[in-house]
Amino acid sequence: MKRKLMFTVLAASLSSVAFAGQNNVGTCGWGSKVFEGQSGIAPQVLAATTNGTFGNQTFGVTSGTSGCTQDGTVSSSWKMAMFLDGNMNKLARDMSVGQGEALESLAALIGVEESQKAAFYQLTKANFSHIFSSDAVTAEQVRLGLKDVLAADEAFASYATKV
Amino acid sequence: MKYRSSLIQKLLRSIMLLVLLPLSASAAYVDELIAAAHSKQLSAAPEWHALLHYYPNLVLPGVHSLADDPAFLNAPDGKTNPEAELDATLRRFFEPPVNPLENPESQHAQCTFIARYHWLRQQLNFDDTQLIPQSCARFEQWFASLNPAGVTLIFPAAYLNNPASMFGHTLLRVDAKDQTEKTRLLAYAVNYAAVVDEKDNGVTFAVNGLIGGYAGMFSVMPYYLKVREYSEMENRDIWEYRLNFTEPEIEQMLRHLWELRGIRFDYYFFDENCSYHLLSLFEVARPELELTREFRWWAIPADTIRSVVEQKDLVGDAVYRPAGITELKHQLQFVDDDRQRMTQALANRALDVNSQEFKGLTVAEQAKTLEFTHAYLNYDIAKGHRTDTEAGPLLFELYAARSKVDTGPAFSPVPTPAVRPEQGHATARLALGLGYQDQWYQQLRVRPAYHDLLDPQAGYEEGAQIDFLDFSFRHWNSGPTRLESWVPVSIVSLVPRNRFIKPVSWKIRTAFERKRLHDGSEPLLFTVEGGAGLTQQRNVAQRIYAMIEGGLAAHDRLDKHVSLGLGPSVGMLWQVNPLWRLEAGAKVLRYGVGEHQTRHQLRLEQNVVITNDSAIRVNLSQQQEYERVWSTAEIAWQHYF
Repeated sequence: MKRKLMFTVLAASLSSVAFAGQNNVGTCGWGSKVFEGQSGIAPQVLAATTNGTFGNQTFGVTSGTSGCTQDGTVSSSWKMAMFLDGNMNKLARDMSVGQGEALESLAALIGVEESQKAAFYQLTKANFSHIFSSDAVTAEQVRLGLKDVLAADEAFASYATKV
Repeated sequence: MKYRSSLIQKLLRSIMLLVLLPLSASAAYVDELIAAAHSKQLSAAPEWHALLHYYPNLVLPGVHSLADDPAFLNAPDGKTNPEAELDATLRRFFEPPVNPLENPESQHAQCTFIARYHWLRQQLNFDDTQLIPQSCARFEQWFASLNPAGVTLIFPAAYLNNPASMFGHTLLRVDAKDQTEKTRLLAYAVNYAAVVDEKDNGVTFAVNGLIGGYAGMFSVMPYYLKVREYSEMENRDIWEYRLNFTEPEIEQMLRHLWELRGIRFDYYFFDENCSYHLLSLFEVARPELELTREFRWWAIPADTIRSVVEQKDLVGDAVYRPAGITELKHQLQFVDDDRQRMTQALANRALDVNSQEFKGLTVAEQAKTLEFTHAYLNYDIAKGHRTDTEAGPLLFELYAARSKVDTGPAFSPVPTPAVRPEQGHATARLALGLGYQDQWYQQLRVRPAYHDLLDPQAGYEEGAQIDFLDFSFRHWNSGPTRLESWVPVSIVSLVPRNRFIKPVSWKIRTAFERKRLHDGSEPLLFTVEGGAGLTQQRNVAQRIYAMIEGGLAAHDRLDKHVSLGLGPSVGMLWQVNPLWRLEAGAKVLRYGVGEHQTRHQLRLEQNVVITNDSAIRVNLSQQQEYERVWSTAEIAWQHYF
């Protein structure tokens, strides 16, 4: 069920067939494909917009059957896992630089105080290789890595439980 | 067993008694409410029509609901009868409570139709002792997790080398109360799209999209998934328009969105599309808005944005979210030739980040080279140019290397474009022209959509053209008044290549146009032309291109009814100054299959912007076709609307 290798998910997701069997997060079922109809007249153009990686229909269809969503919204216990899974590449990129939108959002999810944000970004940058331990890392491994890093730091130990 | 079944029967009987008693008491009250609704003519109110998606019939008097799902309606004739629907809805609100223990999915009608309930309750002052309010736990939970503070209209703009995507898509974002400027990713997106079968091919998509063969549905999902889809995978810039709906308006919009869960609308690509249905949500929030009427037949997302922006007090600021490719192009300006080569070497594993050559760079140069390489690799992966097994480990190594370089971001953020997409020219165009080609003629040209290479550039993708249904009528001074040409579709994409982005430029055009044949007649020939080639950016304002083009002409009067040709074309596109654009081009097509001939064409076309919605077009050309040579000069006034 775990999806592997988020660095390459962009590539994988472009090939929707290859991806079809993998678009699950834990027990959350991201469902059917969605076609953004207004994309052009040429059929190949239309096909290009149907990558449907996470184009889910949870709102209408799968509520109650999946563990992580409530009619399309993500239940609080799954928020972190879903976010990590959906933003692995962006997050790695932001962490390696030490700033960025995905990293800011992660800090918000964890509830990092405004005054501690800079230190948080510094910490995750310094421990990048611990959090993203290999190119084949899963979202769950990233979560556990982040938890470790926070727990090991005096100033952030209290945040470890929130990851 | 016997004992148990009689116990169940007893239980059932007592439950029925419990249920029936209040029902009989409330029978009078429901009639009272219905009578009140009639006397207040609630079924004719704009709120009711917006909630039920009623739209006036085309020919016959009356209305019909655009919803194509029986679950959305309560009366058998609710689709065409607003009053019967309202009466039936009121009756359903009196249904006995549902037991969520039996089925967690089940909802009371007051919850299923919670926006209608809310509005009718306000209008008719429901007496809560006679019409017992039901708890709507599922809705409450959903609403609480959206935690709405605002609504933002999201418009992913066209993507590179795909002029058709100028038609775009629109969606909504529900901004949460605890959200900041920097955590917009954590909001939820509301998307209306056709639900397709992944096995369908492109043609099936197109046909079903046209004839309403797909179900259109609303869905809710984390916004970051949509950002990833558009901004990273499709490389489309995103514009986010904050809307000034009040809190009660947003609440009603979301109540209505709840009513639309799983509700099917037949999806029509041109009119009943994503943009159209988002506008209908706005009308539920604020019934005095009349947005959908304008777009009944043709809803181009950019036009709907324009219309929303024009509404008084509706749109706040607009935020720009550059796509991956936009970042790459922005950063490229600050990376010198040596570092560009280094990026190529890193991306091809010809250079190692631990090598002396790389380590010898300053910290700032290392950061810059690595970040640019990240941008390039991400672009290449999104384009499918690299396999995951190859690119994944490399990208990971380069991120890890960047994390060891102790300095902040190497590049400034991409600046927001001065002109937003909806601030560009309107997409319909009417042109009145005067020309000379052996004799004087007057011309009327009508093009309902969208943008050609010379139309005012601001707000549009440079080098991208998509024209639909372009009609030209001419009155020849000593001749006929007639349809001169009709161009159903003409697409051109001139995208410059550089070391990192290597697109193929292309064009396709189908037309019915008059040609003078050997016998002197000038019939409307059916023609198709297409080409592929390369474009180079000479400087910020100039692009030159070269293509190989193929052409087909078909008509009964042609020798063998058909003519096929092939040949080169070259051209230049030049934004001389902010108001003046020109394109010069030359091409030679040799027709060797079917009717033989060689076609030459030289042209110079210019466009000068006069006001926001008008321009002057001056075209000069010389052509040779079917052994006849002629020159044309034409000047036209163009109005965009």
